[in-house]
Amino acid sequence: MSSRKKILLKVIILGDSGVGKTSLMNQYVNKKFSASYKATIGADFLTKEVLVDDRLVTMQLWDTAGQERFQSLGVAFYRGADCCVLVYDVNNSKSFDTLDSWRDEFLIQASPMDPESFPFVVLGNKVDVDESKRMISSKRAQAFCQSKGGIPYFETSAKEAVNVEQAFEVIARNALAQEESQDFNPDFPETIPINIGEENQGCSC
Amino acid sequence: MTTPTSPSAVHDATADPPSPPSPTASFYDMSDDEEGGYSTIRHSKTGKGVKLLYTKSKVYVHPTPSAKDNIPGYIALIQQKPGLERSTSTASQTAVGSSRGAQSERNSLLLAWVPESSLGSASEIYTKVELADGDSPPKQSYLVPPPPITTAHSSGLGTYAFAVPLSEVFSILVRPPSVGWWFGSVIINTKAGDSFPALFFHDSECQSTIQQRKKLQRESFEISASGQGMFWGGDEVLRWLKRYVTVERSSQEPNIYLIDPSDADKLSFGSGGKPTTDNVRNVLEGKPKDHPSPSSRTKDAQMDPMMQALKSARWNFLEKMSQVTTFTRRTAQAVAENKNVPPQVRRLLQDPQVRTVSDEFDSARLYLARWAMGIAEQSERERNQRMWTARDVMEMEDSEVGEFEILDAEQMSLTDKRKPVTLKEWNGFFNSRTGRLEKTVDEVKERIFHGGLSPEDGVRKEAYLFLLGVYEWDSSKEERDAKMNSLRDEYIRLKGAWWERMVDEQGTLEEREWWKEQRMRIEKDVHRTDRHIPLFAGEDIPHPDPDSPFAESGTNVHMEQMKDMLLTYNEYNRDLGYVQGMSDLLAPIYAVEQDDAVAFWGFVGFMERMERNFLRDQSGMRLQLLTLDHLCQFLDPKLYAHLEKVDSTNFFFFFRMLLVWFKREFEFTDILRMWEGLWTDYLSSNFHLFLAMAILEKHREVIIDHLKGFDEVLKYVNELSGSIDLQSTMVRAESLFLRFQRMVEAIDKKSNFPVPIVRQRLPQPPSSPTTTTPGADGKPRTSSQSSSSTARQNANRAVIANGPGPRPGSSSAAASASGRDKTTGDFVAQGVGAEKEKVISPELRILLSKEVPKLDKHEVREHGGGVGS
Ligand SMILES: Nc1nc2c(ncn2[C@@H]2O[C@H](COP(=O)(O)OP(=O)(O)O)[C@@H](O)[C@H]2O)c(=O)[nH]1
Ligand SMILES: [Mg+2]
Repeated sequence: MSSRKKILLKVIILGDSGVGKTSLMNQYVNKKFSASYKATIGADFLTKEVLVDDRLVTMQLWDTAGQERFQSLGVAFYRGADCCVLVYDVNNSKSFDTLDSWRDEFLIQASPMDPESFPFVVLGNKVDVDESKRMISSKRAQAFCQSKGGIPYFETSAKEAVNVEQAFEVIARNALAQEESQDFNPDFPETIPINIGEENQGCSC
Repeated sequence: MTTPTSPSAVHDATADPPSPPSPTASFYDMSDDEEGGYSTIRHSKTGKGVKLLYTKSKVYVHPTPSAKDNIPGYIALIQQKPGLERSTSTASQTAVGSSRGAQSERNSLLLAWVPESSLGSASEIYTKVELADGDSPPKQSYLVPPPPITTAHSSGLGTYAFAVPLSEVFSILVRPPSVGWWFGSVIINTKAGDSFPALFFHDSECQSTIQQRKKLQRESFEISASGQGMFWGGDEVLRWLKRYVTVERSSQEPNIYLIDPSDADKLSFGSGGKPTTDNVRNVLEGKPKDHPSPSSRTKDAQMDPMMQALKSARWNFLEKMSQVTTFTRRTAQAVAENKNVPPQVRRLLQDPQVRTVSDEFDSARLYLARWAMGIAEQSERERNQRMWTARDVMEMEDSEVGEFEILDAEQMSLTDKRKPVTLKEWNGFFNSRTGRLEKTVDEVKERIFHGGLSPEDGVRKEAYLFLLGVYEWDSSKEERDAKMNSLRDEYIRLKGAWWERMVDEQGTLEEREWWKEQRMRIEKDVHRTDRHIPLFAGEDIPHPDPDSPFAESGTNVHMEQMKDMLLTYNEYNRDLGYVQGMSDLLAPIYAVEQDDAVAFWGFVGFMERMERNFLRDQSGMRLQLLTLDHLCQFLDPKLYAHLEKVDSTNFFFFFRMLLVWFKREFEFTDILRMWEGLWTDYLSSNFHLFLAMAILEKHREVIIDHLKGFDEVLKYVNELSGSIDLQSTMVRAESLFLRFQRMVEAIDKKSNFPVPIVRQRLPQPPSSPTTTTPGADGKPRTSSQSSSSTARQNANRAVIANGPGPRPGSSSAAASASGRDKTTGDFVAQGVGAEKEKVISPELRILLSKEVPKLDKHEVREHGGGVGS
């Protein structure tokens, strides 16, 4: 076994069906966009190794089905999340309006120890589409993010790989910070049931 | 066999260097004289030309996935003047052999494809030859301008036209038309290892094929004799070739036909099963599965182990090396040293660089696990290992193990013998005058369950309507026609209803919002449903809605039909509405029926049983996952214990498979075969759960030995997609069912419990005062060999578990509250584990029923999540 401590960051991607969650993940991990991804059923994840400030971490990105009713079974994956990414489609106001309920839903299901400081990131996707179709302005989205305690916001295109790398870098960084804040918090016993072999996750020696 | 007669009067072309076809209007002078071999067709100016022996029109090259780029053309067998060793007419008339004459004839024959657009006035001759009686080469010689001879497919921007000497052809890959591959195709592989682009036979546009089909239908002997289903253009091409050369079907790859194979070819191809260079190349290049190449149509299960390993190596290794978890050097070492691992892959693993990578990062383990599975598959061992479960339980029941082993073997051989039901056989089931079924429904279902329906002759179009409940089994032809007529009207009416909604924007605000949202959902989902199937691939018509996100990319007729049908269903079943996953269920039915009204009603029938999967509260899915939990405990406690340990007994990793009946795990053609089997309810109306168990059982060793967490199990199971062999899975599922049935019977006999009849219901909410009383409103089941022994018994006493724990009704509901069902799980575990408390949970007992679990209307209204009617 390698002596290096492995860090697994669990990231949950949420948002209405069709906003581009699967496409964003694939763009980030596999560097490609396909117009023929199937609608996600159930759940799946992709993993990617990244360096965050010289630390090698593994991001486990969880993709879920977007239609509300399929979320009720999602409890199992929400647990132990280190960051939650909320995605909407800038050309679809409904998908923006539901961001708040996605956030609430996540907080209820995942019940992180400190909901106030739990890291979210908002992505406004499909900015490659013609400006005339755009429904949600940057301003409006930024105002929303501000009102929720300063959630980082990115405008992305999974199709044209705009801002995807940058957004996920912040996601990784914030997830790592979250993971570490939990590691070093001796008041709370570790509750994350992630399986990283026999390693002691709380070891800070 | 006839060999071509080359009357000496024909002024054949000389073997001049090829020149591009550039016919002019006055190029040919043609005699129409039918009789007598003396009539000639002469190049009016130079006398140059080649003899067109056979040709077929509407053979397309599909340079891109978009139908609008298809290029129509002719495939042709052409004879040019033989080269230096000029053959005498006697030599050319000897049958196919290895004489010098035959050889030179082969050199003089060209297999060509020319685009329609390049023919100019020669097209008349092409048409004439095409429509001449195809059984022998035309008596008359038709000369056409010589196509440029090509021996390699020059990729790039050039033309797709080619003409390759038959002597250069190594093999022809033949893919007959089938659902999912609308057009049959051939690919010509040269001895030099090159392949020409796939040629697609658009048979429905091709006059000669239509003519030949009609003729064959009249004679009808040919269809059954060939055993190959519907006649298509590619058959004809093979027939041409067989007149001149030896055409031998490869025993390893039944879709490959070797042209004049040498003994060495036969050896390496026939018995050795060596992959062709194309095979390997495709795999290594990671071409999509549908890519028309030798490897693509080879099922994994039939694939050479090396191929399989290479394939997984590509899929998993390269992609997953950068992934995480807890891989150990020991595992890598063990695999690298395993003698069963193909040397190529072993070398790959031993590569120091790869070693470091795999040392550092994990999920190579998933890859290795799959790999280990591939190896296990090869060995006999695996089957024996699977036996322990039955033995285990049987010891407990002190009966014999042997029984089950025989059962398995019996099943295997039975299934081997089962042939698909052809249209002819199907029609034979019915009275030819009244159109009434003359067999018992059970007999028909048994045939379909075990044999499936023929994919090639259109029998599915009709049979599906019975299986899906559109037609009654006891109806007459007349009644069915009348029913279809009124259903067509009804479809139009329903369609009109949402159409008005769209135009008038009527209804409450909430309704309008819902409707708009649903429409958007359908739009998005249809555009990402089965687009790899040619039927749904094209984007050849402009999108009718300029506001659609797909307005720019365009759409095609079939996608538009899909949208219409789903919107109509959304209107038809407003309590539920459209839910994601439904488009996956509709696509195969539509692909078979290709008529929106008919497909719609077939879909409605399918949805009646699938409705419970789509309820807002997910109660139907929970129930099935819970049942799978019980089934796994019952049939394979050891595996269950492991799943428990890795926190996976929510069985969520089967969610996708159960929701859309394995649609995402199998190829389109396999799905049709599977679904028609499931629709029969022949053994159980929940047979899909036995399929799930069969898949799980197949991988049990890997799961137990390698998978250490919920995430790994989920990933592993998700990635089985595309690699599961259907045939053996179905056999295993049947065997598991029979084993299950016997175990239940044995337990019943022993504990002497009166057996209840249970009817499948959704779990009740905890607060509900009514608990499930199975049998209370359940109709007595139709007795049949599989369940008669249980059904016969006391029908009225409802036996609910007498073990510890809450009653099943409320425990399932508790499961929905916690998302994970511990209570019921323990309860059954104790049932199986502890001798005294053994019970069969109602969830399990229902598996013996053939009654389709349909929901009451009020149940849908309550749990549906639509807007109501
Ligand atoms: N123009 C554009 N289309 C996108 C983009 N991302 C996704 N899509 C399309 O939006 C649809 C839904 O994408 P998908 O990733 O499946 O969404 P999900 O349901 O959130 O996973 C598909 O048709 C994608 O091709 C993007 O950045 N730009
Ligand atoms: Mg998705």
